[in-house]
Amino acid sequence: MHDLALLGFLLGLILLGLRKPFIFVLGYAYVDIVSPQRLSYYLLNSLQVSLIFFVLALGGFLAMDDKKGTRLAGRQVLMILLLLWCGFTTLTADFPAAAAEKWDWVWKALLFAIFLPFTLRTRLRIEGLLLFMVVSASSMIVTGGIKTVIGGGGYGTLNLGLSDNSGLYEGSTISTVAIAIIPTILFLAKYGTVFPRDWKVRLYSIALVFACLLIPIGTVTRTGLICIGLVAIMGLRDSKRRLLYIAGMGVALAVAIPFLPASYTERMHTIQGYQADESASTRVAVWGWTWNYVQSHPAGGGFNAYLGNHIKIELKDARGQPINNQVEYDKARAFHSAYFEMLGEQGFPGFFLWAALHFTSLFRLEMLRRRFRKAQGEDEQWIAPLATALQHGHIIYLVGSLFIGIAFQPFVYMMIASEIGLDSYVKRTRPLKARPPMGQTVAMQAVPA
Amino acid sequence: MIDTFALALAHALLALTAWRLFKRKDLDHDGGETRVVWGRRPDA
Repeated sequence: MHDLALLGFLLGLILLGLRKPFIFVLGYAYVDIVSPQRLSYYLLNSLQVSLIFFVLALGGFLAMDDKKGTRLAGRQVLMILLLLWCGFTTLTADFPAAAAEKWDWVWKALLFAIFLPFTLRTRLRIEGLLLFMVVSASSMIVTGGIKTVIGGGGYGTLNLGLSDNSGLYEGSTISTVAIAIIPTILFLAKYGTVFPRDWKVRLYSIALVFACLLIPIGTVTRTGLICIGLVAIMGLRDSKRRLLYIAGMGVALAVAIPFLPASYTERMHTIQGYQADESASTRVAVWGWTWNYVQSHPAGGGFNAYLGNHIKIELKDARGQPINNQVEYDKARAFHSAYFEMLGEQGFPGFFLWAALHFTSLFRLEMLRRRFRKAQGEDEQWIAPLATALQHGHIIYLVGSLFIGIAFQPFVYMMIASEIGLDSYVKRTRPLKARPPMGQTVAMQAVPA
Repeated sequence: MIDTFALALAHALLALTAWRLFKRKDLDHDGGETRVVWGRRPDA
């Protein structure tokens, strides 16, 4: 029954896609996020579902989509270069078999992210993609939220519908992603056009945001708590009544703390005394190893290069004093940071391409935010809030990924692709007039679509 | 039970989203204008 329902859903998407090929693109995003083939017991698990949807999406785009004005954006070029560089480091990897295993899914994520912006030609498509991403992720978030409320949490033990703790189903990853999509959920509730903006949509959005906030508690991840703090602070940027906002946050915090499980508050205390915590000390030791490694291997060691590390961990207390000279040795410990993951695996060239991709995205979103901040028309009012929501989500990812190795998380690349899509859409439909010659003071203004 | 509920809820919403997008004329072109594809109007 379970398998038949999933199969029926996918067949439904394919049927709709035959008339509107963009549905294939949404189907690929759904398959990549939810992994229905991994949830299936016998029907879908033998099929290359993502390959089928990618071929359909590409074919639909090539055969039927309007391509007028389509341009390759700078960030797509950065992703192409990153893809080529990753291919090169895979060929020269320290651990060829392990590198090939990661390359097998990374190239697909990058290729889809390079392709995706070409398909985002209308406001509705951008919104549709974001809605599909959020609702797909909600299949895990709602599960996690309900289980947290009834007390089934714990890192690696909160089952989000799949027990293998990989991809978005991994605790720290879903913690970061769940918080990163909160601004987008709020945007969709306020400016979305797919569903009527009535009390039902508002109620579901509030419930989903609440479930998102519960994920870091259920998975007992410190990264998630940092991300929650960040999303609260960034909410201040566009808040019209800042004092009221701060007071509201204070009240919410005071109400929430007594309900937090003891296991969660105990673990959160280790954020301050990170040196006494083995998990955090291991990270610091791995980061030290990575920095030394990249000095002698500036081109990186290829995917999963961390397998070569040997680290010495000196446990210290909260004040930085050694605990009875307690020393532990370990090896092949994961990077636990997207930044060090990029540095160790792809070296300085890969790291700078990756960093350029992210920071260019933040900068471009800021430009959009500022340009349309005072837009009045119904057809433009949504642009600045969407740019803000995507930018905030992106910043949350960049902060969360300081502590998690999610440099190639496909969900994040879809988010970047939607940012590029928004930017390209605005450029295409509302180009800026050329700058006037020097000495003239004609204001730059948008040209209506 | 919870897994099935969340999965069913998400899929029902995704199906509804896909259907509502499918019915919208402005999915492929802003403003909802149609264009000729392979000699016929796709939304005709």
